[in-house]
Amino acid sequence: MEALKMENITKIYPNGFVANKGITFSVQQGEIHALVGENGAGKTTLMKVLFGMEQPQEGAIYVNEKKVKISSPLEAIELGVGMVHQHFMLLPSMTVAQNVTLGMEPRKNGLVDTQKAVQITQEMSDKYRFGLDATARVGDLSVGLMQKVEILKALIRGAKVLILDEPTAVLTPQETRELFEQLKLLRTEGHSVIFISHKLEEVMELCDNVTVLRHGYCNGTHPISELDAAGISRLMVGRDVVLKIEKEDPKPGKPILEVRNLTRTNAEGKKTLNDVSFTIHEGEVLGIAGVEGNGQSDLSDSISGMVSYDSGTVKLNGKDLKGMKIVDIRSAGMSVIPEDRMTVGCVNDLSVQDNAIADRFDKKENMNGIFLDKKKAKSITDALIKEFEISCDSQDEAIRFLSGGNIQKVVVAREFTSGANFVVANQPTRGVDVGTAEMIRKYLVRQTREKGIGSLLISADLNEILEVSDRLLVMRQGRIVAAFPKANVVDVDELGEYMLGIRTMTAQEMEGVL
Amino acid sequence: MNIRLITSFGFSVLRLSTPLIFAALSAAVCQKAGLFNMAAESMMLWGALIGVIVSGATHSALIGFLAAVLAGAVTGVLIWVATVKGKADLMLAQIAINLASSGGTIFLLFALTGEKSNSAVAIKSLALPKIAIPGLKSVPVIGPILSGHNILTYGAIVAAILLSIFIRRTKTGLHIRAVGENPHAAESVGISVPRIYLLAWTLSGILGGIGGAFMSMGYLTSFTKDMVAGRGYIGLSASSMVGGSPIGAMFCALIFGVADAVSNQLQLTNAPADLVLMLPYIVTIVVLVVISVINYNRANRKAKA
Amino acid sequence: MNNAKKIETWFDLVRILVAVLVAYAIALVILALISDDPLYVIQQFIVGPFSSFRRFGNILSTMIPIIFTGICMCFVYAINKFNLVGEGAVNLGGCLSACVAIALSNKVPAWLLLIIVLVVGCLAGMAASLIPALADQIFHADVCVVSLMMNYILLYLTNYILKYRIKDPGSSITASYKWAPALKFRNIIPKTSVHAGLIVALICVVLAAVLFYKMSFGFKMRIVGLNPVFAKYIGIPVVSTIILAQVIGGAFAGLGGTVQVLGMFSSYQWTALTGYGFDGLMIAVLARKNPALVPLSAFLIAYIRTGADIVSRTTDIPPEFVSIIQGIIIVLVAAEMFLSGFKRRLIFNSAKKALAEKEGKA
Repeated sequence: MEALKMENITKIYPNGFVANKGITFSVQQGEIHALVGENGAGKTTLMKVLFGMEQPQEGAIYVNEKKVKISSPLEAIELGVGMVHQHFMLLPSMTVAQNVTLGMEPRKNGLVDTQKAVQITQEMSDKYRFGLDATARVGDLSVGLMQKVEILKALIRGAKVLILDEPTAVLTPQETRELFEQLKLLRTEGHSVIFISHKLEEVMELCDNVTVLRHGYCNGTHPISELDAAGISRLMVGRDVVLKIEKEDPKPGKPILEVRNLTRTNAEGKKTLNDVSFTIHEGEVLGIAGVEGNGQSDLSDSISGMVSYDSGTVKLNGKDLKGMKIVDIRSAGMSVIPEDRMTVGCVNDLSVQDNAIADRFDKKENMNGIFLDKKKAKSITDALIKEFEISCDSQDEAIRFLSGGNIQKVVVAREFTSGANFVVANQPTRGVDVGTAEMIRKYLVRQTREKGIGSLLISADLNEILEVSDRLLVMRQGRIVAAFPKANVVDVDELGEYMLGIRTMTAQEMEGVL
Repeated sequence: MNIRLITSFGFSVLRLSTPLIFAALSAAVCQKAGLFNMAAESMMLWGALIGVIVSGATHSALIGFLAAVLAGAVTGVLIWVATVKGKADLMLAQIAINLASSGGTIFLLFALTGEKSNSAVAIKSLALPKIAIPGLKSVPVIGPILSGHNILTYGAIVAAILLSIFIRRTKTGLHIRAVGENPHAAESVGISVPRIYLLAWTLSGILGGIGGAFMSMGYLTSFTKDMVAGRGYIGLSASSMVGGSPIGAMFCALIFGVADAVSNQLQLTNAPADLVLMLPYIVTIVVLVVISVINYNRANRKAKA
Repeated sequence: MNNAKKIETWFDLVRILVAVLVAYAIALVILALISDDPLYVIQQFIVGPFSSFRRFGNILSTMIPIIFTGICMCFVYAINKFNLVGEGAVNLGGCLSACVAIALSNKVPAWLLLIIVLVVGCLAGMAASLIPALADQIFHADVCVVSLMMNYILLYLTNYILKYRIKDPGSSITASYKWAPALKFRNIIPKTSVHAGLIVALICVVLAAVLFYKMSFGFKMRIVGLNPVFAKYIGIPVVSTIILAQVIGGAFAGLGGTVQVLGMFSSYQWTALTGYGFDGLMIAVLARKNPALVPLSAFLIAYIRTGADIVSRTTDIPPEFVSIIQGIIIVLVAAEMFLSGFKRRLIFNSAKKALAEKEGKA
């Protein structure tokens, strides 16, 4: 029986971004169904629609072959759809039982019947062999167990269809194996599971069918038995339109950035960078490809001084950056186009001018003695607006009134003209219009070639990373797992296999390319 | 002689702690809901004034007390309206309410009585009863310390215990904590966050109102302008030191009560009264800083581990 | 789109004006309700401050201390820290300045002493403000709570100094010894209480506005307040900027205390908090954190205050009722939802009109 069907779902966000276009897929009762796709392929949006967090413009949802309307998560829960979010919705100071029964606490004499809550939680946990202690404080649990609590929360509310959004991203291999056993148990009990993942070996091991999304479209549903990992990878990773950027071969000069054995553990105790080493020379763009969340952000933040790291060195123009203030790192030659332009890259309420000169207003040549030089600021900004074709009514208007593309142009303009000879460009064209994206890419290449700067390009956009980069590295789980000397001749299918963990290069294979 | 000094000191600690305990509980409810309550000051001020006025008008201490409670609750609801319905910044709204209350109480007092700073002459208000605990009374040392207090002093202790049970054991209490810890998680299981905020502010207002009633119907028997004198803020500190645990907040309030009593005691000696008056506030800052450092380090260590 | 922008900009101003009017209307209703002669009271409240030259002078002299605290709160508010120590800083500045003035009167030339005294006021305010700032940035204690506690500590500290160190036993009230008359700020408008402190205040406004908008520190400070993550990313030292902004703010508040004491009294007499610090917050909110607008919003507050004083003197109604007005104004200005429906309609209508025009042309 079809436990769930989503038919012809189209979701367009208010800013015009088409996240889902005519997607149809269905889940049988008692199956584990994989939903795979690159970042931005539309998986999360589709699941938000299913869970009532977003309303689609078109399409219908059927639960148990009955057409339903789901306008809030509560309604989804009522219909037997449960979701385990990537970021847990848990209360660390409370016990497992309290978390599981929150909002539906059993009561006795007006008070919460703690014993009963513990009892039903424990029974449920034992039934599915979750191995939880219902009286333990959630904050004391391992991440793996917290995830069990989330699953239990959904099950106790009668979830028949369980959505797991990249559940293994936070788990150790042992925990993953355990989870799989439990999911299989759920399957035999007649539950359906929608398993969202990037890890193809897991999909192959666990799932019955796989639905592939690409760029908002559905690329078909296939029984796992008919596909191998490389086949799925080809369906997921692909270039719809091949982008071409004219550029000559790089003539790398002396090294600018040297990263050696960089290792970092994040606040959650996870190793996000594991012994990362590479060098970037004058006049070349080094690309880093990888599924998002594999340490790219931490790499960019560690290099630019935004976060500290456990061990290893980062040298810029021969200077060890460890412990340096960001202002000094910048004057040592660093510029950064951050991943999140709205919270890191600019100040929404300040003017275009203020944002454009935020890194250089107190340089001696831009000051008028002890005062800010407004005229200079204006002429600098005017030049940037002209060169980067930033469209704004006036440079005094608040930057938040600009379009996303124009805001990014301001950020790019500032960072490329800061006088630095090295730039970290982290997702520089995400969410900007095609024209601006192309301009930013061309500019990055031109600056690198003509001015001899070194660039580190981090991007989830394969078109971009293959065309713009000279050399290409692939990051996975905090490590460099592949290195290619020439990015534009890399085969997309092969790249996908490295990104998704199907293949890994040995140190010997990568030697000389890092 | 010495024993009498000790007992009278002990007695005054409890007496002086009473309003602080209510203020601390008022802040604690909000803290459990994830709200920063700076307005216990206002809740108490209104409670104190309205209690005096109504008890004077009705010749009933009970009705006066209930009116004080209502006044506190209304103050709490006003903050909710401004911040949840009106989306005003929580800090600014509370500072504004405190400002308006400090002047507003004086103004209301004047509008009704023509007095500008003290209600004693114009209003014959009633005090809430004192309670002698029969068995306890005759026990040496302990008896004179613990017995014979205003009913609200015992009420403060009972309130702390009840609040603790409410927060830990009732469905609503758990929901308050859930909202305070992670509003999204609470919302995802159908708990209405604005409603919980309303409840927290109302409850907080009620507790503040009772504290105010004690100020003007127990501690003193009249309203004087700005009589709360920062006790709401001390309560806030007490609560934030123990993460909003009601029982913990009560004990913290007792520490400040001791500081208060010491400063009262010293004022009887030759020590400069004004320096001594600084004591409770200095204690508050020092303790707050120490606890904040401990909490920060603990949070950091946990992240590292 | 362009229209929406314009509407937003104008709307801010309109909102403040409406908030003031609403608060005023409420105050008038209250006055009318409790007064035997409502028309007279209301007339006194509204027109009173302008009814004589001396009364107009009162508005100006009332402005003086709250301009200083308004500037103080602009700095504090610009970096988004609710350090409310301005209140205590006024007392400390006034008190310590008085101590120095008394100790050095007739020992150093008046002009030199004046400079020393003003510097002492600044330093006192800086010290007062530094404690909550450090507690917040170094020890992670809540800056707001610490600063409120500081206010009481500073009040009792200054009371102690007044009563035990500088009290003039010959005086019938609690007051310090008098300082050299040469120190007292001269009257600058005859027949009013407006003293030279107003000039100092306006100089401070200029200084603060220059620091805010013409110097790199002010720019850094505004960036830190608006987006600390960006500030870090672009290389601005966030913690030291936050501390320094509060300390500078404190300096203005302390100086305000000094100026007020030297301008209005010939000996130190404060035994309670002045309320100027909280007025300062309100002025900063009204001025949208812009020091250049502080005199304007200070004038508004001073006008309300003066009206209240006149009402209080002529009818016995206590002047505290203005704090109700102030509270209402702050809440209304702070409340995003206040008039937001009206704004949406405006933007919607103008968008619709623009669309209609476009279609008409096409």
